[in-house]
Amino acid sequence: MARLESEVIREIECIQRVQQGDAEAFGHLVERYQQRIFSIVFHLVRRRDEVEDLAQEVFFKAFRAIRSYNFQSSFATWLSRIAVNHCYDYLRKVRASRISYYSEMAEESAREVERKAESPQPQGLDHGEKVTLRDFVGKLLARAPVGDRMILTLKELEDYSVEEIADLLNLKASTVKVRLHRARKRMLEDLERWRQEGE
Amino acid sequence: MDCKEIRDLVSDLGAGELSPEAREHVSKCAGCGGVLRGARLVQAGFRALAEEAVPEASFGFAARLVRRLEEWEEKGARSEFFETVGRRFVYATLALTLALLLSLVLPTSGPVRGVGGADFLGLQADSQSSQPDVIGADPGDSHDWIPGRLPD
Repeated sequence: MARLESEVIREIECIQRVQQGDAEAFGHLVERYQQRIFSIVFHLVRRRDEVEDLAQEVFFKAFRAIRSYNFQSSFATWLSRIAVNHCYDYLRKVRASRISYYSEMAEESAREVERKAESPQPQGLDHGEKVTLRDFVGKLLARAPVGDRMILTLKELEDYSVEEIADLLNLKASTVKVRLHRARKRMLEDLERWRQEGE
Repeated sequence: MDCKEIRDLVSDLGAGELSPEAREHVSKCAGCGGVLRGARLVQAGFRALAEEAVPEASFGFAARLVRRLEEWEEKGARSEFFETVGRRFVYATLALTLALLLSLVLPTSGPVRGVGGADFLGLQADSQSSQPDVIGADPGDSHDWIPGRLPD
């Protein structure tokens, strides 16, 4: 407990130093939060080759805006919010090159994935099956509207609670619940459409 | 329970537990059964995605970032300095040019105002000088002065 408190105090001091223009102190914050930011960026954008560049841009934005940080929310939340907004802008920009992914899936792997769905708890999947499933749902996510993709990713992949998502996106918890419900429903409808197209 | 209710429930629960009533509906309804299978598929896919290893920052990521930030700050401060100095220089030049123009267009004092200005602009001094500059003054009693020529 005392250790946690001293860490918090150290972090506050560090932030205050950065607010006075100490870039070196910002390095400590980067080291502390880089994995969290990499995770958010990777899950939202899903492009391994872009993650580091995007994370760097997120930290750059954070450094430039740090004087406006007023300690109202935790630094982690404030930084994550910058990352989420940055990824949202990025995804909206690259949205123009959207393509239909389903057609790229081989009929055989599509059927295999379908079969997996029949098991209520698809445990014990081998590596290849996991990759197929991951690829499939990753592509389903990529097809979803950007807003749906953001909220589903934060909930299902980053494991944030509804309240945390509300804090990150500056929304009410009830709004987040409604959006999550709609996003899931839209995704299932999209999946159903694909099935019908394939029949 | 109707299909709409079941689908709402399935969307929210994903692969979670359904009530016996809902399970019975799903077992009889092919459409809802398909939606449930889809929800399980998506849920399993999310789990697989969440397990995927996140790329790690390359060695020295934080240090490189700090270096870039320091360079950016230095550059920013320098460009701010030049911007301020440059802006002041432009304002000063404009003010000086305006002052010079005004000093050339406007004469030094009252009675000769129209004449001096007209001369400078290349207008006929005669037409100007035919008007009395000063109330009660003789038009012939000219105050006009042409640059480079001494008054008579």
